[in-house]
Amino acid sequence: MQYQSQAVAKPYFIAALGLFAGQILFGLIMGLQYVMGDFLFPEIPFNVARMVHTNLLIVWLLFGFMGAAYYMVPEESEREIHSPKLALALFWIFLIAGALTIVGYLAVPYATLAKITGNDLLPTMGREFLEQPTITKIGIVIVVLGFLFNITMTVLKGRKTVVSSVMLIGFWGLAIFFLFSFYNPENLVLDKYFWWWVVHLWVEGVWELILGSILAFVLIKVTGVDREVIEKWLYIIIAMTLITGIIGTGHHYYWIGAPEYWQVLGSIFSALEPIPFFMMAVFAFNMVNQRRREHPNKAATLWALGTAVMAFLGAGVWGFLHTLAPVNFYTHGSQITAAHGHMAFYGAYVMIVLCIISYSMPLMRGRAAANPPKAQVVEMWAFWVMTISMVFITLFLTGAGILQIWLQRMGDTPMSFMAGQDQIALFYWLREIAGVGFLIGLITYFISFFVGGEEQAS
Amino acid sequence: MQPSDNNSQECEGQSLAVIAEALYLSNLLLVPGLSFAVLLWLHLKHRKHESELAQSHLYETVKASLWVGVLLVVVNILIFLMGGYESANTWLVVIIYFTTVHSAFVLLGMLGLAKAMACKVWRYPLP
Repeated sequence: MQYQSQAVAKPYFIAALGLFAGQILFGLIMGLQYVMGDFLFPEIPFNVARMVHTNLLIVWLLFGFMGAAYYMVPEESEREIHSPKLALALFWIFLIAGALTIVGYLAVPYATLAKITGNDLLPTMGREFLEQPTITKIGIVIVVLGFLFNITMTVLKGRKTVVSSVMLIGFWGLAIFFLFSFYNPENLVLDKYFWWWVVHLWVEGVWELILGSILAFVLIKVTGVDREVIEKWLYIIIAMTLITGIIGTGHHYYWIGAPEYWQVLGSIFSALEPIPFFMMAVFAFNMVNQRRREHPNKAATLWALGTAVMAFLGAGVWGFLHTLAPVNFYTHGSQITAAHGHMAFYGAYVMIVLCIISYSMPLMRGRAAANPPKAQVVEMWAFWVMTISMVFITLFLTGAGILQIWLQRMGDTPMSFMAGQDQIALFYWLREIAGVGFLIGLITYFISFFVGGEEQAS
Repeated sequence: MQPSDNNSQECEGQSLAVIAEALYLSNLLLVPGLSFAVLLWLHLKHRKHESELAQSHLYETVKASLWVGVLLVVVNILIFLMGGYESANTWLVVIIYFTTVHSAFVLLGMLGLAKAMACKVWRYPLP
C-alpha cells in the first residue's frame, strides 16, 4: 500500500461483503417463496424480501464503489486522501442508516414505516428500488456529498489522471441523478419518466463510468501496459457508454405513456448499448495479452477478465434480447427481465467490486502483492462456482420467461398470471438450486480470506 | 500465456489478422453472409501469406464461421422437425441457442480479436 489513508477502503469493503451475504440470503428466501408461497409468511412477506434483496444490492455496491474510490484515488492522485476521518465518519453514518432502514423494512409494515419516518412531509417512498424512507434518502445524499467533497479535493490537489477523472464524473453523475428520487409527481407517467433517470442513468450510464475506471486501474496494475494505451481505450468506452446509454433510456419509455417516438429512439440506441461492453471485453483481453509483467495476483486478473465477459453477456446479450420495442411488447416485465437483471448486475457491478477487493485487500492486509497461492486457488474456485451458478440462474429464468410469455401473452387462450406461474414452477425450483450453488460459491469466497500459506514473490 | 514485449506495436500480418476477426464478428452480429463472403475471399487470396499470424487468423475465422453456419442449419432442421416456429418449446430452443451457443462464438471472436491486436496467433477450440 503506497498511501496510509488507502486503508479507509477496508471497512467499506468488509461492510460491502457482509451486506452482499445478506442480499444472497434474501434472494434465496424469495426464490423459495416463488414456489412455496407461504414460506416465512407473515414474518417476511415476498414484497419485503424483494425490497431487502434489491436494496441490499444497491447499498453494498455503493459501499464497494466508495471503497474502490478511497483505495484508487490516492494512488492516482499521488497523495493522501483529503480527510480520512471524514471518510470513516461517513462510513459509520452510511452503515448505521442502511442497517436501520433494513431493520425498518423487516420490523414494521411498510405503510407504518412511511408514517413514522415522515413520508407525508416529502413523499418519496413506494417506488421500486427507491423504497427507502425519505430520511434515509436524505442521509444518502449527505453521505455521498461528503464522499464527493473528500474525493474531489484529493483529486484537485493531486495528479489528475484519466482514470480518476472518469471515476469522479461517474460519482458526480451518480449523486446528481439520485436527486431525481426526490421528485415524485402525481402524474404516473411523469413519475415513471423521471424514476428511470435514477435507475437507468445509474446502471446504464454513470455506473458504467465507475466500472470502466476500476477495470482500467486494475488492468494498469496487473498488466503493466502503458497507462496511455489503457486510457485511450477508456475514453472510447465511456464515450460509447454515454452515446448509447443516455438516449437508450428510451427503452423504458415504450409503454408508460411517453410519446411513441421513444419506441424508435429507444430501440436504435439501446440496440447499440452492447457496444461499450463488447469493447470492454476486447480491451480487457487485449491488455492481458499485451501485458509486460506476470503479476502474482492471478485472482484479480481473473475477476477483471470475468467482469468484461459476464458484463458483455448479461448487460449486452441479455439486454439486447428484449430491448427492441416489437420484442419488448411481449417480454416487458417478464422473467426475461429478471434473467437480464441478474446476470447484468453480477457481471458488470458485483464482479468489478470483487475484482478491486481481490486486488487491494491483500495489500491492505499487509501482503507484498497478492494473497498466498493457496488462498488464490480457493478464491478462483469461488469465482467459478459463483459465475457458473449465475449463468444457470440466468438460463433458468430465461426459460421461465419464454414460457411465461408464451402461456400468458401469446397463446390463443392466454393464461392468467398465477396460472402461468404454476406452469413454470420447475424453472423456479431449478433457479433456487442454482441460487444455493451461488451461496456455496460465496461461502468459498469468504473462506479464501482465511487461507494462509507462503506468499509468492512480487 | 507469456508476457508480451511488443506492447501496442504493429507486427507483420496484424492488419489482416484483425480484419479477419472483425469480419468473423461482423458475420455473426451485423452483416451475415456478405461478411463471410469477404472473409472467404481474403482467406483464398492470402492463403500463402508469409505471416503466420495472418494465416492463422484467416484460416481459423473461416473454420469457425463454417461451424456457425452448420450449427444454424442443424438447429433450424431440428426446429422444423419439432413442428416449426409455432410452439413454445421451439422458442425456448431458439432463444437459448442464440444466447448461449451463438454468444459463445461471439465471445471466441472477441478473444480472437484481442489476440490479433496483441500480435498473437489464435486457435478456436473447435475440431
